[in-house]
Amino acid sequence: MTTKFDLNDDSLVVIIGSGAGGGTLANELAQKGIRSVVLEAGKRFTLDDIENDEWKMFGKISWLDKRYVEGPARLAKDFPNLPAWIVKGVGGATMHWAGVAMRFQQHEFKMKSTNGVVPGANVLDWPITLQELEPYYLKAEKKMGVCGTEATGMPFHGKSSHYKVIAEGARRIGAKCEQATLAINTEIRDGRPACQVNGFCMQGCKIGAKWSTMYTEIPKAEATGNMELRPQSMVLRIEHDDKGRVTGVLYADRDGNQQLQKARVVAVAGNSIESPRMLLNSASSMFPDGLANSSGQVGQNYMTHVTGGVYAEFDKPVHMYKSTVVPGVVKQWQDNDPERGHYAGYELEILHLGLPFMSAFLNPGSSGWGRELAESLENYDKMAGFWICGEDMPVESNNISLHPTEKDQYGLPVPVVYKTDHINDTRMRNHAYDRSTELFESLGARKVNYLPPYPASHNMGTNRMSEKPRDGVVNKWGQSHDIKNLFVSDGSQFTTSGTENPTLTIVALAIRQADYIAEQMKRRQI
Amino acid sequence: MNKNNTAESIPNPSRRRFLARSGAAAVCAGALSAGLLSATAWAAKAVGEQASATLLRMARDIYPHDTLEDKYYSQVLTPLAKKAEQDAALQTLLKEGVAELDKRSHQRFGKPYLEVAVESDRVQILRAIEDGAFFQRLKGDLMMGIYNNPELWPRFGYGGSAWQHGGYINRGYDQIDWV
Ligand SMILES: Cc1cc2nc3c(=O)[nH]c(=O)nc-3n(C[C@H](O)[C@H](O)[C@H](O)COP(=O)(O)OP(=O)(O)OC[C@H]3O[C@@H](n4cnc5c(N)ncnc54)[C@H](O)[C@@H]3O)c2cc1C
Ligand code: SF4
Repeated sequence: MTTKFDLNDDSLVVIIGSGAGGGTLANELAQKGIRSVVLEAGKRFTLDDIENDEWKMFGKISWLDKRYVEGPARLAKDFPNLPAWIVKGVGGATMHWAGVAMRFQQHEFKMKSTNGVVPGANVLDWPITLQELEPYYLKAEKKMGVCGTEATGMPFHGKSSHYKVIAEGARRIGAKCEQATLAINTEIRDGRPACQVNGFCMQGCKIGAKWSTMYTEIPKAEATGNMELRPQSMVLRIEHDDKGRVTGVLYADRDGNQQLQKARVVAVAGNSIESPRMLLNSASSMFPDGLANSSGQVGQNYMTHVTGGVYAEFDKPVHMYKSTVVPGVVKQWQDNDPERGHYAGYELEILHLGLPFMSAFLNPGSSGWGRELAESLENYDKMAGFWICGEDMPVESNNISLHPTEKDQYGLPVPVVYKTDHINDTRMRNHAYDRSTELFESLGARKVNYLPPYPASHNMGTNRMSEKPRDGVVNKWGQSHDIKNLFVSDGSQFTTSGTENPTLTIVALAIRQADYIAEQMKRRQI
Repeated sequence: MNKNNTAESIPNPSRRRFLARSGAAAVCAGALSAGLLSATAWAAKAVGEQASATLLRMARDIYPHDTLEDKYYSQVLTPLAKKAEQDAALQTLLKEGVAELDKRSHQRFGKPYLEVAVESDRVQILRAIEDGAFFQRLKGDLMMGIYNNPELWPRFGYGGSAWQHGGYINRGYDQIDWV
């Protein structure tokens, strides 16, 4: 079980990050007999550490290292040091995630061909199609245990009161609303229990009903003896030789000592802020702009989805917290129909927050106080609402860069995240606010609250896939265009964001990438 | 909104319902008028009586829940004041913050903050300082102390931790009688 590999073993795959991408890749490789070390910056938590408490879990597992948000968006003012709400811990953001698992739509791999050039955006087709990914989506759904799919045959969750309210509103305005396909067990499956509707999916599932690499992929990989996980190991830079091949990874261990782990292959899966940051921090005389960056696209095209919240107050109780966090999705506007006044689609994901988070997000920032806010919070139990999740435009100037002077506790330049709306994003969000309002008013809502985007939970695109090396960072396997034995295995590969939540696609890509890495290693190409 | 500070004068039906649920109707009106000083012994030592009463008034203006007893606001302010006894910077922040508040009240309404009777007048003064460290410190502590206080969750109709009760799978997650 407790495999240990030597720092000088240069036959290993070194995977950086143990979340959706990294954790999945490690297990897939381990099952094929390929040995890896997973370096994870965060601690290893157990189910005992998980509490049904929003702020406690936020404090316990969030990535809170210094970061800056810049740009004219409200987020920069409200949360100047918290661009993203993600996790530092074994399992990464799959601890926090709500479990929504949907496949991309066909056209979402072809946004450039579909809409042509969108001024001010850096839109590109993916170098893969839905058809190529379908078998891997199927495998991902099986692996993760997605309910309501043919892949598992597991039934949907029961319809919660929150779902029923929204579904009725959707019916009244003629909009399509469906129960969510969630990677949350509705039956005992894969050694994990069925959901008991605690309603704290985004604080980590206390009983392990929700898929997280923390207690699925990681222990399964360890059980093969082919994988060593090193928690509290913060990667500082990736090293290369004079032929331009990566050779190892320098990291700070739990005691702050620097260690160099040699590698045959390196896979970067630190989520879309840290992954490009690592590549930029690994700049050398041979690669002065950072590794894998001949295109100049490392860190660019940062996407978070077009988001926002809409919460209505009714006369009677809803008790939205008595539900899986996302019980259903209104899919009426998920297609690409420029007639609506914007390109690409969005989904309205029924989603609850607890009272503590609602008080922070209903009107975030310095002006969020006073009688109107207090009155709304007094109506907490009569609220129902959505989190908007729509495709956002890749824009080159939305990016991750390194602070010119300031360093973090590891001595690394602090990342600066610049993100602002493309005009299409703004139009889409307004469309979503309007349609949500219609839906809520059809049910007699007394008041509708519009919440600005929270710190990003979906982070994508900063090492994007492209057909041509000049347009992106990696090829259709997530392999660096410039460096053959360097891979990107997380959401930063996304060429465009799609409308759907990213994790199922991240996992499908990681399964597919594992096949490719195995084959390339066998053929001694890497 | 131009509402004054007693619960009886507020016709809003939502608040009446909140009042009924919390069963605290009797407490609130008195607490908000004359009873202020007595409830604020907590901070008198660190910042003085007038200042501590002002802080309580301000706290209730930031998150005004007329049915919540003063003690819930004091529960936030007391540890802050205690900390200020040891922490000179915090003490200065609080003292100077209150002084600034009173200065602005005098300029605008000719009396200290505590004596400005109409809530919307006090809100005007607070809006002007809301970006400052003093206000944000109080707001931040209050948000946690009020909305993240498990003791108050039932009053807001929030269930809190559920796993130890077996979740809601057998406790009415699917019940709704109006759709
Ligand atoms: C509240 C919330 C709700 C969400 N809900 C959904 C949902 O319903 N559906 C969905 O599809 N997605 C959801 N997501 C998003 C989903 O969690 C992420 O898209 C997904 O986990 C990203 O996978 P990843 O592999 O890119 O990164 P992560 O899972 O974040 O993993 C990255 C890991 O790398 C580690 N790391 C970073 N830098 C370093 C370094 N230098 N050295 C070592 N380790 C490092 C991190 O600590 C982390 O563990 C949600 C996210 C949040 C926060
Ligand atoms: S609702 Fe289900 S998945 Fe979510 S935390 Fe609870 S038991 Fe886990």
